[in-house]
Amino acid sequence: MRKTILQFALLAVAFAMVLSACGTAPTAAPVASEAPAVTQAPVVTEAPTVAPTAAPFTFGILLVGPYNDQGWSQATYEGAQYAEKQLGGKLVYIDKVNPADRPGTTASQLAEQLVNQGAKLVIFNSDDMKDEALKFAQANPDIYVIGASLDWTWKDGKNYKESPNQTDIMGRMEYGKMIAGCAAALTTQTGKIGYLGPLINDETRRLASSAYLGAKYCWTNYLGKNAADLKFKVTWIGFWFNIPGVTSDPTQVADEFFNSGYDVVLSGIDTTEASKEAAKSAASGKKAWAIPYDYVGSCEAAPDVCLGVPYFNWGPAFAATIKTASDGTWKSNFQWNAPDWKDINNKDTSAVGFVKGKALSADAGANVDKFIAELAGGLNLWTGPINLQDGTAYLKDGEVGTDLQVWYLPQLLKGMEGQSVSQ
Amino acid sequence: MLKNNRWINLAFQLAALLLAVIFTTLILLAAGAPPLEAYKNILMGAFGSLDNFANVLVAWVPLLLTTAGLLITFSAGLWNIGVEGQIMLGAIFTTWVMRLLQDTTMPPALILTLAILAGMVGGALWAMLAGALKTFGGVNEIFGGLGLNFVATALTLWLIFGPWKRPGVASMSGTVPFDDRLSLTVFTGLRLSPWALVIAVAAIVVVYLLLQGTYFGLRLKAVGRNARAAFLLGIPTWQYMMMSFALCGLFAGAAGAMQVVAVYHRLIPSISSGYGYLGLIVAMLVNYQALWAAPVALFYAALNIGSIQLPIVLKLDSSLSGVLQGMLVLFVVLVEGARQQLMKKS
Amino acid sequence: MNVELRNIHKHFGKVHANNDIHLNIPAGTIQGILGENGAGKSTLMKILSGFIQADSGEILLDNQPVIIHSPADAIHHGVGMLHQDPLDFPPMRVLDNFLLGRAGGLFPDRKTVARDFTRLAAQFDFSLDPDSYVDSLTVGERQQLEILRLLWLGARVLILDEPTTGISASQKEKLFETLRKLAGQGMSIIFVSHKLEDVESLCGAVAVLQAGKLVGEARPPFPTKKLVEMMFGREISLGARQAASSGRSVLELRGVALEDIRFQMSGIDLDVRAGEVIGLAGMEGSGQGAFIRACAGLTRPVGGRVVLNGRDLTGKSYHVFKHGGVSFLPASRLEEGLVPGLSLTEHFVLAEETRGIFIDRTAGHKLAEGRIKAFNIRGTPASPVESLSGGNQQRALLALLKSPLSLVLLEHPTRGLDIESVIYIWSKLKERCKQGAAIVFISSDLEEVLQYSDRVLVFFSGKVSKPLEASKTTVEQLGNLIGGKDWESLDLEKAHVKK
Repeated sequence: MRKTILQFALLAVAFAMVLSACGTAPTAAPVASEAPAVTQAPVVTEAPTVAPTAAPFTFGILLVGPYNDQGWSQATYEGAQYAEKQLGGKLVYIDKVNPADRPGTTASQLAEQLVNQGAKLVIFNSDDMKDEALKFAQANPDIYVIGASLDWTWKDGKNYKESPNQTDIMGRMEYGKMIAGCAAALTTQTGKIGYLGPLINDETRRLASSAYLGAKYCWTNYLGKNAADLKFKVTWIGFWFNIPGVTSDPTQVADEFFNSGYDVVLSGIDTTEASKEAAKSAASGKKAWAIPYDYVGSCEAAPDVCLGVPYFNWGPAFAATIKTASDGTWKSNFQWNAPDWKDINNKDTSAVGFVKGKALSADAGANVDKFIAELAGGLNLWTGPINLQDGTAYLKDGEVGTDLQVWYLPQLLKGMEGQSVSQ
Repeated sequence: MLKNNRWINLAFQLAALLLAVIFTTLILLAAGAPPLEAYKNILMGAFGSLDNFANVLVAWVPLLLTTAGLLITFSAGLWNIGVEGQIMLGAIFTTWVMRLLQDTTMPPALILTLAILAGMVGGALWAMLAGALKTFGGVNEIFGGLGLNFVATALTLWLIFGPWKRPGVASMSGTVPFDDRLSLTVFTGLRLSPWALVIAVAAIVVVYLLLQGTYFGLRLKAVGRNARAAFLLGIPTWQYMMMSFALCGLFAGAAGAMQVVAVYHRLIPSISSGYGYLGLIVAMLVNYQALWAAPVALFYAALNIGSIQLPIVLKLDSSLSGVLQGMLVLFVVLVEGARQQLMKKS
Repeated sequence: MNVELRNIHKHFGKVHANNDIHLNIPAGTIQGILGENGAGKSTLMKILSGFIQADSGEILLDNQPVIIHSPADAIHHGVGMLHQDPLDFPPMRVLDNFLLGRAGGLFPDRKTVARDFTRLAAQFDFSLDPDSYVDSLTVGERQQLEILRLLWLGARVLILDEPTTGISASQKEKLFETLRKLAGQGMSIIFVSHKLEDVESLCGAVAVLQAGKLVGEARPPFPTKKLVEMMFGREISLGARQAASSGRSVLELRGVALEDIRFQMSGIDLDVRAGEVIGLAGMEGSGQGAFIRACAGLTRPVGGRVVLNGRDLTGKSYHVFKHGGVSFLPASRLEEGLVPGLSLTEHFVLAEETRGIFIDRTAGHKLAEGRIKAFNIRGTPASPVESLSGGNQQRALLALLKSPLSLVLLEHPTRGLDIESVIYIWSKLKERCKQGAAIVFISSDLEEVLQYSDRVLVFFSGKVSKPLEASKTTVEQLGNLIGGKDWESLDLEKAHVKK
């Protein structure tokens, strides 16, 4: 028994040492009922100012997927690299920032690691990190935060939170998706278009619906066909990319599309499974095409079946915003950046673009160009009458959708197949 | 004599550590990475700052809780692979109680206490399911546990994607985060909760005393080493196995509860963070001795947290720390085998 | 094959297990190795069969020095060893086990092998089903299987470590006959035993080991008394039988029916009286195992009643029986009786009634010291049980028995033990009888059965004899009965068989 006590004492000492190692821990016994200090809303109302220095401005980016996923993460990563080059700054990054790939960690914890590397600004690249981004911004008022695709800083938005050191940025991908939908409608021979959706939220409903609007427009106006003959089906996998055992397998979903008569599949997820499956189907003699998403180079995954890709060009917005942080002119704002209609593929000015793929026929290509020109000329497909999937009128005849109506689209649209909401 | 043995054992285990490091170094060299730089970064990433060390302890808490539980089932000779699912069920039960009570006027401390207790119960129930499958269904606990892990994952996903989804959203990202007042209090400026630390340390102390000093612990050991003889000696073996499952589940459930109330503040698909499997490794490495569980679990938590530096600084894949962890297990097992051979000879 | 051992030394820590052993065994000899437990017999045999290596010394086979690294190496040189605890792989079929260790042939021709197996088995009159599972075999049958396997693998030197414990008298005769035949063919047989009568009837030469040294060699006719003195370094006498007691019934069996994979037994009636010893004789697997386990509550009878001290415990669990004063000591000590890895102290603490939640280690240590002294166990309170010799493990098991007890049930209580231990253990058991406990035990050693029992039950293929008075029964009668002969001369009372 004495030995037991001795060992117990040793153990206790060891723990005391461990505990005392957190030297600055408060000595008063913490009370669980008190709100945790860290997460209290900051009282800072003004944005922090950093004196401009000669040293290169270091900033970091958290990527939800691999930096080379030929999709969302690569697009944001290259946007950050663009900013790094433009500003002469220094970029640090961590990829695969999600609890499945980095178990036991949180995005705000990893953001702190970037700060330890000298980052004065951190880009959170995913909707998956939205709570963590806000939490980090509020806990670190002297670090700037950019939330890609988030809407915390949109004063008119539904989720506005005061967060002076944060700016959220998104591109108006609605246009890119409309063009993609158009290219799909012009190409499909079965009249069945599949949409490989990630998870269901405002953003994904909005983008899938935009693709449908573009497809319907080109189907009826350019091909002169009946809108009712166009099938447009959305299947959601549950996350932005495949997590084995957690999400539905996008490969299988794409495969099912091709096997059930859908000959064009638009990807709404971060990765390129749809293209690869299309290539496989095409190789086995089927008619199959795909339209990837997010990254300008993602046609490379399967060039022969690629009709084109709507992509984000984050560089200009990142560069401009980061510059305000480095030169002390920062002001928290919300950006929803449109394409540069003079040249949607101008990498220095356009936030959203579309490059045509090898598989797009010359005729269809000409029509796609025509459609882009129409959009540039002021065509707005978010104009009524637009009904929601359950039949309720969303936009009255002639009514033009506001930013709020488009961003917070509550359901898919009438005419689209697929799960629309979760209450 | 006994003391001598202990030092010799320690020497052997240090040798295993050394071999693991040498092999990992070779792999690093083969990958064209500077090994010293890599180790320095892991070390700094884990202990270089107060923040980092606090993060290590954040990971240490659920790992130690899980290991504490596993020491009990290991003592009973059971390979409780299902511990992963038991963590998940702990998280689910905790989330469930938090969701039920979050809009009430109950004081947060009470809600948190009830939620953690619910998590422990959830883990214990899930563990007893594995125990019942073994005792009454004749299903080996490894297979039963693996099966139940799958079911637990499916249940978590279903809850996140179904009944507990965010309004208007259907995503595997997780449920709506709980209000800040429903987080365990943390040390100012850190992510670490003193309450979580207290619970983890209390757990390992309880398990240590249980296994070292009680009739229950001794009987459990007898059941684990020779269930047949234990039965003939008068120990109700299956009841003891069930109890060991239930106890392990309590601790695993507590780990799951900590993941919810102190780390993620919501339910996410990978809520267990693999601590179940890591806990199995730690329990195996410490050769089922509770005294060593705390430092070894700390070491593993430090590797996990420290290795985050590898991709940031050296652009290396952080799974390298997994290589080191794996090597360690391998060499400890190998060196233990060699030790036994040598002991036999001498 | 000629076997020669020169200057063999082996140390285990401080123990000099083999000390300069010289031994020459010409081809065709059946060489007996005698010695009490711990004398170094097994060590010497393990060296010869490659399980362990000598610290120094030489092994010559047919005058060629060889170095044997492993058992596989040994069998390659023609040396095969049959262990005291047969090394087999329980979840396998007999035939698969038989195939193990065979060199070459990734895909063995099972048909040919099965034919070989059947032929070999027939030669020894062993009734082994090649398709049954090894774990369903008795210890005796496992030994038979192992002998067949070694012969089939081409062993020309056969080492047998205590082969006669656990097999029946007729099996033993068959075995001896075969060994003589094999020796006649030029094989060398090494027969390790502590049973003088076996060695005397079989061997052409005997070497006696004591405390690691070769203390003497002899040829027939053997001077029995001298051999015993050499083994123990002193003279030993067997204990005398006690008068049969006729106390009250502790255990009553009324029309008990039992089922086994092989047979059904029914209508068993028996009164076990306080203070008496009942021996159960029979070939392995004749029903005595099921019977003794039914008395312990480990096997549930399919019919009849089991009454302990006047309480009807039919269908109750073993722990109820145990609580009622029944103790069961299984044959396989390390598999069923003791917990490897736990110390003697821990065993005693486990066997005691609990007091509170925490263990009082000091009291446990004292308890262990007392028992170790009382039962003359060679070990310390901290010794893990697996480090004890067989005899000491059996003493430890006896020391674990609670007091008072109504009924002690033992399977092969002295199997593999040296004579000194056997005598000691029986003296302890007889003490229990004096305190009013009844003893029921299984043994395949017929002399032991007759020596220590008051009454004997004979089992043959599911049949149970009426209780025989041990004092009026001879070894021959018993031998015939367990072989299935002369049953018509017995009044079978109500016991019958349904096949």
